[in-house]
Amino acid sequence: MSAITDRLPPPLRIARHAVAAGIADFSTMFTWRTWTTAWLGRMVLQVVFFALIGLLVGDAGTVRFLVIGNAVMLAAVESMFAVASTTWERRAGTLPLLVASPTSPLLVFASRSVFWLATGFVSSSVSLFVGAAVFGIALPFPRALLVPPMILVVGTSTYLFASFLGALILRAMEFRNVVGNVVHLAMMAICGVMVPTDVWPSGVQAIAALLPVTHGLGAIRHLLDGGGAGPILRGLALELTVGVAWYVLAMLSIQRLVDRGRSDGTIEYAD
Amino acid sequence: MTAFRAAFGFQIAYMRRNRDQLMPLFASPLYTVIFLAITRAAGRDDLSSYAVLAPALIALWAVSLMSAGEVIDSERYEGTLEAVVATPASLGVVMFGRVLAVVVIGCLAFFESWLTAALLFGVVVPIPQPGWFLATLAITVLAMAGTATIMASVFVLARSARTFQNVLSYPVYVLGGVIVPVSLLPAWVQPISRVVFLSWSADLFRDSLGAAPVEAPVGRLGMVLLLGAIGFAVGGWMLRRILARVRETGTLAYA
Repeated sequence: MSAITDRLPPPLRIARHAVAAGIADFSTMFTWRTWTTAWLGRMVLQVVFFALIGLLVGDAGTVRFLVIGNAVMLAAVESMFAVASTTWERRAGTLPLLVASPTSPLLVFASRSVFWLATGFVSSSVSLFVGAAVFGIALPFPRALLVPPMILVVGTSTYLFASFLGALILRAMEFRNVVGNVVHLAMMAICGVMVPTDVWPSGVQAIAALLPVTHGLGAIRHLLDGGGAGPILRGLALELTVGVAWYVLAMLSIQRLVDRGRSDGTIEYAD
Repeated sequence: MTAFRAAFGFQIAYMRRNRDQLMPLFASPLYTVIFLAITRAAGRDDLSSYAVLAPALIALWAVSLMSAGEVIDSERYEGTLEAVVATPASLGVVMFGRVLAVVVIGCLAFFESWLTAALLFGVVVPIPQPGWFLATLAITVLAMAGTATIMASVFVLARSARTFQNVLSYPVYVLGGVIVPVSLLPAWVQPISRVVFLSWSADLFRDSLGAAPVEAPVGRLGMVLLLGAIGFAVGGWMLRRILARVRETGTLAYA
């Protein structure tokens, strides 16, 4: 195994080690048993909680809208945990070593939280089908089987966005949980998860268009409503474009952090 | 009383310096926006009081879970638990002072959600029965503090307190009926909900926001108080057991 790893190009080898470090972090929080029972159950109940509001308002269309929106949002919620977990690396005191190495620190920062992408994908996919079954929502098969790969696109785009926020938060680590949570709640409010985006003023809609989830979730809703391939593919392309744009900003932000740290000596061994 | 006052003041100062601890108060306005957006988009303006109340209850629970739950664990993490236990002041009193401070700070969420609704949506939710509303708030604060003492003890033993905190959010929001009344949940869930003090509190709060007289308020407040007292008793018992064990094993201050 290590022989295979040694033959990988350096960036992939480094990414692989960072992913392994992240999985080690993950295993301090969960065992497979606690994840599949307690955590997955909690995520499904998040969808149930919001879908129940649909029952409260007494509208079947609202229930369907909330189940789909909130199930897909779970992939984004877990990806946004990467904002906080990005700081774990700096808090471990490894930043000077990463800066001294020939590879960009962002490669390590962005790779070590990738487990959230995997767990978010599973939470989101399971919650969609369980939520639909619990609330009696008919999903069109086999078309609905295309939703999980689309969820992965939403999760990835959000993860890239979280990398940018994580890069910013490296400068103010005491806000690591606040920022991730506040931003994901704002996304839940305006990105078409709870209500259609067009209920908001145009300025808010413009912000939503620059955020992950909006286009990808729109594409998923279109798919489940029987829409054609054109708008679906356009939505997914926009979703990925938004994510990549945020990742470019993350790269610039990390470079600035490193440059400034080198000049003023703020690259420390631990916080 | 001096120890209680000192612990209360310390926790307020601690939370002011650790902004992460105030996360539920940052989240509360956003939950208000989300709930009001859903009810208004569905044309159910009559549910505005539900939408404004729920974020406050969520914040109250979340801040208790996050800050109060970590009271003992944070002492261990900082390596100060040994000193706290060695002082003549009762650890239970110190813990109660800190936990109560957390819950009182959490009450700011009521102000936040009402203000958010008024400023962003122009929705002013009246409180037609302020007496019962305030009585429910006071009893809920005590019950929340009681429940938090259980969590403070459990988190010492948990593999990851933060994971525990995350897991105990939405399941409790559903069972506690923070926005959807327990009566709308499936029949088999309702008896489980009634063991969660928040379900009694949420119903009482909602009733005090309505025009109709609150039915059987004393008995229902008594249930909140009883469940909170059970929390204190169980939390206190667990704390004594944990302290006895770590004293025996010499693991009191492992930080």
